[in-house]
Amino acid sequence: MAKIEDLKEEAKKLLREGKVKYIIGYGAGSNGWLAAPLFIKKPEDVDKLVWDPTCVHNLVRFLVDEKRRKARQKQPDKRPVGIMVKGCDSRAVVVLLQEKFIDRSDVYILGVSCEKMGVVDDAKLAKKLAGKKAKRVEVDAQDRFVVTTEDGKIEMAAEELLAERCLECKANFPVIYDLLSGEKTKRPLDKPFGSLEKIESLSAADRSSFWKEQLDRCIRCYACRSACPMCYCDECVVDSINLAVTADTTADEKAQRIHWIQRSAESSENLVYHLVRAIHLAGRCIDCGECERACPLDIPLRFLNKKLEKEAKELFGYEVGFDPALPALISCFRDEDPQDFIR
Amino acid sequence: MEKILAKKSFPQWVKKLDSWRVYIPRKDEEGRWNYFEADGGEVSLDVLQTTLPPKKILFPQREVFLEFAKTLAGNRETLEIKEVLPEVKPTVIIGARPCEARAAWMLDEVFGGEFKDVYYWKRRDQTTLVGFACTTPPSENCFCTSVEGSPHSEEGLDLLLTDLGDRYYVQSMTAKGEKLISAAKALFEEPKPEAKKQVKAAHAESEKKIRRQLKDARPIAQKLKGMFDSPLWDEESMSCLRCGICTYLCPSCHCFDIGDEVESPSPLKGQRVRTWDTCQFPDFTMHSSGHNPRPDKASRLRQRLLHKFQYFIQVYDKFMCVGCGRCITLCPVGIDIIKVLDKVRDHGA
Repeated sequence: MAKIEDLKEEAKKLLREGKVKYIIGYGAGSNGWLAAPLFIKKPEDVDKLVWDPTCVHNLVRFLVDEKRRKARQKQPDKRPVGIMVKGCDSRAVVVLLQEKFIDRSDVYILGVSCEKMGVVDDAKLAKKLAGKKAKRVEVDAQDRFVVTTEDGKIEMAAEELLAERCLECKANFPVIYDLLSGEKTKRPLDKPFGSLEKIESLSAADRSSFWKEQLDRCIRCYACRSACPMCYCDECVVDSINLAVTADTTADEKAQRIHWIQRSAESSENLVYHLVRAIHLAGRCIDCGECERACPLDIPLRFLNKKLEKEAKELFGYEVGFDPALPALISCFRDEDPQDFIR
Repeated sequence: MEKILAKKSFPQWVKKLDSWRVYIPRKDEEGRWNYFEADGGEVSLDVLQTTLPPKKILFPQREVFLEFAKTLAGNRETLEIKEVLPEVKPTVIIGARPCEARAAWMLDEVFGGEFKDVYYWKRRDQTTLVGFACTTPPSENCFCTSVEGSPHSEEGLDLLLTDLGDRYYVQSMTAKGEKLISAAKALFEEPKPEAKKQVKAAHAESEKKIRRQLKDARPIAQKLKGMFDSPLWDEESMSCLRCGICTYLCPSCHCFDIGDEVESPSPLKGQRVRTWDTCQFPDFTMHSSGHNPRPDKASRLRQRLLHKFQYFIQVYDKFMCVGCGRCITLCPVGIDIIKVLDKVRDHGA
C-alpha cells in the first residue's frame, strides 16, 4: 500500500494556507484494530492521519453531511473540503459530480492507492480469530497480512482477509484526484462478478427463501442507508414524516400521505425497504461495501447491489463512477441501448 | 437458596423446563450470536455476547395494541375496536448476562411506576431471568464495573449461575427462580462450604477481568448538566452516520413510536402498533409543523448521552447504561461512548 508521508506534507500546507476548510481522513480507532474517520482542522493534527488496510470506510459519505451543514448556515464557508479517497471511494465522488450533488470546487481530493492490496473484511477476520481480539492488522513486505492478537502474531495470505469487494476491485487507485499517493499499478481481474456465481446458480425459489431468511433478520436500524454516500435524499420513503412538511402543510395532507412502507420490521416491509434501496442504487452503486459492513446483523446486501451493477454492465455497457463528464445511467438515452422491452 | 448443578446435568435441566418457553444464546451457522428458542436443541453456556440483547423478548420491536375495522351494514357504518393483549407462555431467558438483567430492571422502572404498561408487563410477569456470571468478559468492550454494575450482579435476576469448572454454582434470588430449581430437584445438590468460597473468589476475580473502564462516571454525570451548549457535541458527532445501531442494540434504550398500520383503506381495517424508535433518527423529534428541535447529529448524540448519564439519573438515580459495550463494538465509525465521556470529564480541565 502507498506510503502517505508526501500526502501529509501537502495536507499540512493546505490547512496552513487555508485552502481547505478541513480534511476528512482516517485516524486510529479506539475500538481495536479498525481505523476510524478523522476530521482535521489544524495542520499540527495531520500527523494523526493513518493509511493502512484497516481504512475500510468510504469517507465520501461525509460530503453529504457537509452539504447539509452548508445549507443550514447563513454565510457558509465556500472553501473546499479535503478528503482522503481510495480507488473505490473516488468513484463515489465521480457519481456525486455526475449527479451534480457536489461541484468539483467543493472538494480537494487526496487520493491514496491500494496498489496490490485492499482493505480488511471485519467479518472474515472475526471468523479467523474465533473470539480472539485483534489489536493490529498490518501488511508485510510480501503483501501478507500480519494480525497481532493478545496471544501473538498470525500471518495470513492477502486473499484470506481482503474484503470480497477488493477481490473484485475495478479501481485500486483513485480515478479522480488532486493529489495522489502511491502507484497506479493495474492488477488483473479475472472474475469481476465472481461473488455472484453462487447465488445466481440457485433456483428462483431458493433465492427467494435465501433472501427471506436474510432480510427477516433486519431490524431497520438503517445503518446500510446511513453509511451509503449515494443515499443522500433529504426525503426517504421509509421515514414516517420526513416528507417535506412545512408550516403550510395541512393536517389533512399529512394524514393522507401514503405510507409506502410501515415501520414494523416484518418480512414484507423489510423486503420492500431493501428492494427500494437496491433499485435506487442501480447504476449508482460503486461497490464500496459499506452497507454490508455497517449491518450489525450481517445481511449480505452487497449481493443485491452487485447484481444490479452487473445488469447495468450487461444491458447498457455502463460502468459506474469512472467519468464525471458522462451522464448518469438513469438520465441518459443512447440509440444502441436495448429496446426490446418497449412494446 | 443456593445449589450446585453439574455441568453435564445442565442440558437435562433445560429439557425439564418444558412448561416454559426457553430462550438461550446460541451461534447460528454463520457464527452470529443471538438469543434463540431452545426447542430441544443443543444448549450450552459457552457463549460470547449476542448482537441483540434479550430486550426484544420483553419489549418486542413490534407490538400490536389494538385492531380496528369499519363495517357497513345497510347505510350504517360502525367502527369496531378490539384491544389486543399479548398472550405469553411462561418464559425463561437462560444465560442472560448480569448487565442485561440490570437493563431489564431499568425497563421495569420505565414501563412500571405510576403508569403500568400492560403490554410490557404481560410479558415481564411471565418471564424468569436466569443469569450467567461473566467469569470471562463476553466482549472486549465490557465496562459494567464503571457504571455501578458488576459481572456477577444479581439485580433484575431470578437465578444466577456461576461457572466453577465442572459445575455451576446456582444462587436463587426469587420465588420464580426457585420454581425452576424445583422443576428438576434431583439434579441440584447442596453446596459445600468450599464451593461458597470458590464462588466468592470467582466473582472477585471476574471484576478484575473487565478490560475497559470509564473513570468518575458520577462526577461526569454532574458535569454534563453544564454542557448542553458545548462545542464538544459537534466535534464528537462529526463521524456519526445517524443510524440506529447504538440505540436499537442497547439493552436499556426503550424509546418507541405508535402508529396505525392500515391493511385496507376501504372498508377501513388495520392495527395500531408500537414499534421501536430511536433518538438517532432525524424524524424522531420532527414536529408536525415541520420544525425539528434536534436538527443535527450533534444534538442527537448529545441526547443519547444525556438521557443515559443525566436525565435518567435525575429520575431513578441510576445510569441508563449497563456497560455492555455493544454501542462501541457495533458502531460502524468507531464512536466510543467511553472516549466521549472521557472528553466530557476532561473538558475545560
